[in-house]
Amino acid sequence: MDWLEQELKQALARKEPPGGFAERVRWSARRPRFVMARWVAAAAALVVMTGGSLAWREHQGRVAKEQVMTAMRITSAKLKHIQGHVREVRQ
Amino acid sequence: MTAVAIDGSRTARGLAAAGLDFDALVREHQSMVFSLAYHFLHDRQAAEEVAQEVFLALHRSRAEIESPMHAAFWLRKVAAQRSIDEARRRRRRPQVALDAAPEPAAGVAPGDPMLGDLLRRLIATLPEAPRMVMVMRYQEDLEPAEIAALLDMPVTTVKSHLKRSLALLRGKLERRGVGEQ
Repeated sequence: MDWLEQELKQALARKEPPGGFAERVRWSARRPRFVMARWVAAAAALVVMTGGSLAWREHQGRVAKEQVMTAMRITSAKLKHIQGHVREVRQ
Repeated sequence: MTAVAIDGSRTARGLAAAGLDFDALVREHQSMVFSLAYHFLHDRQAAEEVAQEVFLALHRSRAEIESPMHAAFWLRKVAAQRSIDEARRRRRRPQVALDAAPEPAAGVAPGDPMLGDLLRRLIATLPEAPRMVMVMRYQEDLEPAEIAALLDMPVTTVKSHLKRSLALLRGKLERRGVGEQ
């Protein structure tokens, strides 16, 4: 190893990181759990929103069905009433 | 955690199985990881951020670590990858050709602390691959074959980077009267 390589070894000798580095790493290593918790919360919110949306659509479907049934009943009653009038006129 | 080895037997894996402790690994290897990033990026803050990312990646991959040697290899490899990624991503420091590097102060000679500073600045101007090879060689005292394994490049390429970078540095220094007296 010549003088330049010796100088390079000295110039590139390992250096200590800033104080408190290991503690900051340990602290950060615990953070992913919170990140995971946020992901779980986000997933749960998505499930709730999707479920809510489906329930709301189902509810709207039921209301629409009831409205159609009511309209059918009214139409049926009207038809019966007209049929009665027609029979009276014929007699 | 267990894994099936090549011969079909089940082998224990992970930091705990290897008798390793994450905090102890951080304490043991923090200067190695930080220095690899620092000598490559020439920026203390960026080096600290990279070093922290490397250890967090180790924490996430702790189930894959099989032995203390594997941990050291893994940390060096990931530190090199993350440092190169960081240099590419941030482009904080414009790439300066060796010829455009700052002139050494007059009277700098081997053994002078100013020479060390000059060498670090000259290395910081090398292209990414030869720069990382030089840092691995002279910071970590690794052989070309070990550097080749870490950086996924042929041994001949590593030797070529070393030879060429040394010649460039030597020429740059000797033309300005810095050299063995």
